[in-house]
Amino acid sequence: MNKLINFFKSFLLLELLKGMSVTGKYFFAPHVTVQYPDEKTPQSFRFRGLHAQRRYANGEERCIGCKLCEAVCPALAIKIEVAEREDGTRRTTQYDIDLTKCIFCGFCEESCPVDAIVETRVFEYHGEKRGDLYYTKPMLLEIGDKYEEQIAKDRAADAKYR
Amino acid sequence: MINIEIDGKPVQAEQGSTVIDAAHQAGAYIPHFCYHKKLSIAANCRMCLVEIEKAPKPMPACATPVAEGMKVKTHSEMAVKAQKGVMEFLLINHPLDCPICDQGGECQLQDIAVGYGGSASRYQEEKRVVMHKDIGALISTEEMSRCIQCTRCVRFGQEIAGVMELGMAFRGEHAEIMSFVNSTVDSELSGNMIDLCPVGALTSKPFRYTARNWELSRRKSVSPHDGLGSNLAVQVKDHKVMRVVPIENESVNECWISDKDRFSYEGLNAPERLTKPMLKQDGKWIEVEWQVALEYVANGLRQIASGAGTDRIAALATPHSTLEEMYLLQKLMRGIGNSNVDFRLRQSDFSADGKYVPWLGMPVAEINSRDRFLIVGSFLRKDHPLLAHRIRQAVKKGAQACIVHSVDDDLLMPVQSRAIVAPSELVNSLAQILKALIEDQGSRIKDRGATPALSSTPRYAPDPQLLNVLKDVEVGSAAAAIAKSLASGERAAVLLGNFAQQHPQAAQIAMLAGQIATLCAAKFGFLGEAANSVGGYLAGAVPFGAGAQGMNAAQMLESPRKAYVLLNVEPELDCANPQQAVAAMHGADMVVALSAYKHQATDYADVLLPVAPFTETSGTFISTEGRVQSFKGAVKPLDEARPAWKVLRVLGNLLKVSGFDYDTSEAVRDEALAGVDVAAKLNNSLQSVPILNPQSSILSGLQRVADVPIYFADAVVRRAASLQKTRDAATPCVVMHGSELRKLGVVAGDMVKVHQGAASARLVVKADDSLPAATVRVAAGHPVTAGLGGMFGAITVESISGERA
Repeated sequence: MNKLINFFKSFLLLELLKGMSVTGKYFFAPHVTVQYPDEKTPQSFRFRGLHAQRRYANGEERCIGCKLCEAVCPALAIKIEVAEREDGTRRTTQYDIDLTKCIFCGFCEESCPVDAIVETRVFEYHGEKRGDLYYTKPMLLEIGDKYEEQIAKDRAADAKYR
Repeated sequence: MINIEIDGKPVQAEQGSTVIDAAHQAGAYIPHFCYHKKLSIAANCRMCLVEIEKAPKPMPACATPVAEGMKVKTHSEMAVKAQKGVMEFLLINHPLDCPICDQGGECQLQDIAVGYGGSASRYQEEKRVVMHKDIGALISTEEMSRCIQCTRCVRFGQEIAGVMELGMAFRGEHAEIMSFVNSTVDSELSGNMIDLCPVGALTSKPFRYTARNWELSRRKSVSPHDGLGSNLAVQVKDHKVMRVVPIENESVNECWISDKDRFSYEGLNAPERLTKPMLKQDGKWIEVEWQVALEYVANGLRQIASGAGTDRIAALATPHSTLEEMYLLQKLMRGIGNSNVDFRLRQSDFSADGKYVPWLGMPVAEINSRDRFLIVGSFLRKDHPLLAHRIRQAVKKGAQACIVHSVDDDLLMPVQSRAIVAPSELVNSLAQILKALIEDQGSRIKDRGATPALSSTPRYAPDPQLLNVLKDVEVGSAAAAIAKSLASGERAAVLLGNFAQQHPQAAQIAMLAGQIATLCAAKFGFLGEAANSVGGYLAGAVPFGAGAQGMNAAQMLESPRKAYVLLNVEPELDCANPQQAVAAMHGADMVVALSAYKHQATDYADVLLPVAPFTETSGTFISTEGRVQSFKGAVKPLDEARPAWKVLRVLGNLLKVSGFDYDTSEAVRDEALAGVDVAAKLNNSLQSVPILNPQSSILSGLQRVADVPIYFADAVVRRAASLQKTRDAATPCVVMHGSELRKLGVVAGDMVKVHQGAASARLVVKADDSLPAATVRVAAGHPVTAGLGGMFGAITVESISGERA
């Protein structure tokens, strides 16, 4: 008996219609696929991407070389050397982040007492050699200068939660 | 004992102790800033407020003596409220920028603020700012605004260092810690103020901003400088010594170290460090492999041994070398067939050789309990900063200190009586004291004649020969006063300093001092010049003892040898007679310098072998009290430098001396000390030295008095940049009595020329009327005076007309 029913059902193309109905449903549903790189997903202001070193408005670097980020870094990706600058202030002479070690946990950002080291929204960067991802102080400051507007906006947005 | 209760726990405390002592003893922590166990009580920080039952207000635990039945609450509501309030007030004027402060991470204020303070500051007004002042090259006051006026530094100066160099000026909000107008902090113990400061107001200048304390690993070590053997924590980052701090050891250095121990680390990585073995070829230095250098040395020594004879080879080591190094050096020398090895470079009288192994004669800690001191020939403060501190503490408790010396430097303690005499009169002075004591004892025995027991058994029967010699000695008033002071005590100590040990009549001085000590039942000791002055004897790095008699340090340089092996020796700075030493080096066919630094040896040496300073090698120092302290290397040897014991071991192999198969320095130490009872070997008894007529040695003309300036005493400290900027490291002057200056027709500040033998040096002259007549004080061990001759003996001063410095 079952055999007979299946025989007639196959003529009615019921499976096809069932499948097409799924297709049809998704055809008219709103799209979720983002066409990267033409389109971008939305980002939180807490997004933790490429690191940057910030400056104050007068151009003075924020970092005071307290080494808290170096101490807190769970991946030991940060290397800092400090010395007294001619004007008597405590400044870093070396501030390196090895992005091949970094796990983007954001602890450095959180520990920083002067908001000097931050993680920007930038995640589209690459290195062609391993060494390319070893970011030094001038590189980090350059990133900071480039994205300062965005960084400042994000800090402001996050301020009320901190 | 008094029974009190702390936080409900019954505690027994000593009568007269304070609540904070009792609490710490019972394991209850009470936060505090101004309280320090070694300093007097100030009770001005108010952090230690606790509740005491029946007291209407919270009481400072550091200043409240315990009383029977007292009930103390350290965590009650009242106590917590008081502590929180005090904390808030302390933080009012304290900057809250811990991240840039050098003390961050090791700051008592930071820790206690976290534990006992509020979570946020309510203070919105302006904070007080204190301008920094320059108080010298060692301590930074850059962050004086952080001061919480605990006055620990002030009390340290007054009570421990013996001189108040910092004080609190002004009142209330304007109160600030400062030095006296235009003066610096020059105490040789000043670095301890950095440790004492509970905040970041006083920090180390050389260490400033170089590292964070959490980055540093702490390695135990032992001071390689003076004979005390202070316990050090060498703090290391990335295989580099970043700073040195004390390890507390109540029986050695308590919780202090001298500035020499603390800041000399800068010399470890000085630019003059020798990092590769070097050979001199055709007058030029070339860097070579270790193998090449060592084979060159072995071949050279072998050739000289087979050609000129083994006794033409000599070895000198500094007394700052480790036991292992000295042991291997002497084993090497004895292995190739002679005993020409010595470490007593500045000694000039070797007549008591073999009779004694000089040591302190008592444990270091016992110094505090002595009640009379006779200090003979010692630049005490500069040569033994922490032993001086112990004597100072004893004097503070009522002991009397007397000195016999050729200079009257301020010891920063009251001196009961002093005999300041020319070096040639030192023996006579001691003979006078001895005679006065014998006479005094005789009269006392007569007084007590009624007690037969006393009269029939005199405490001490002097040698008839001694009495015969003393017959002609006339007791002066100074000697009589010293004898009186010594005789009045019960626990006296007679201590011989470096000057007395380097003196050309050192054996006579030591013998007489020993007799004086026996006569007043005193402890008799030698203040060891260097970290291993005792260890050198026990290692056998002396020309007597095992095997044939060899030449001592003076003989080796007097009758020049063909080859010299120098273990960390800088002959022009380390030897009793640098002029002679340098001439001997220049005359030698081969000079092998095992050294951590490139120094003058580049002029006369043929081979420079880079060896490791104390932080880069394992080893053992035997302190002046006979304490055997081994330590491990704190960092890797710099570049190609190697521990000297390894170099000597390989040299032993290359020279085919048997028994050079050590794998570790511990194996060397164990062999060196196998079957040696250190305590039994130490022996200051010089009774068998025959007495000479003390009047027989009067010199005509001027005599030299030479000290070794504190920051020129050894190779490491000479290269410590910050110490070299201190006042103690200033270029030496010629110091003479004012009348001697007038005789010469010069005034203080003029340039003069001093001559010793063929050598001369041009120096600034100064007047010091405390010097005895006919003496000229010219420091040794300094490059400026290195060309001069012996540390004792005749010297002439010539005025250079009209030239001023």
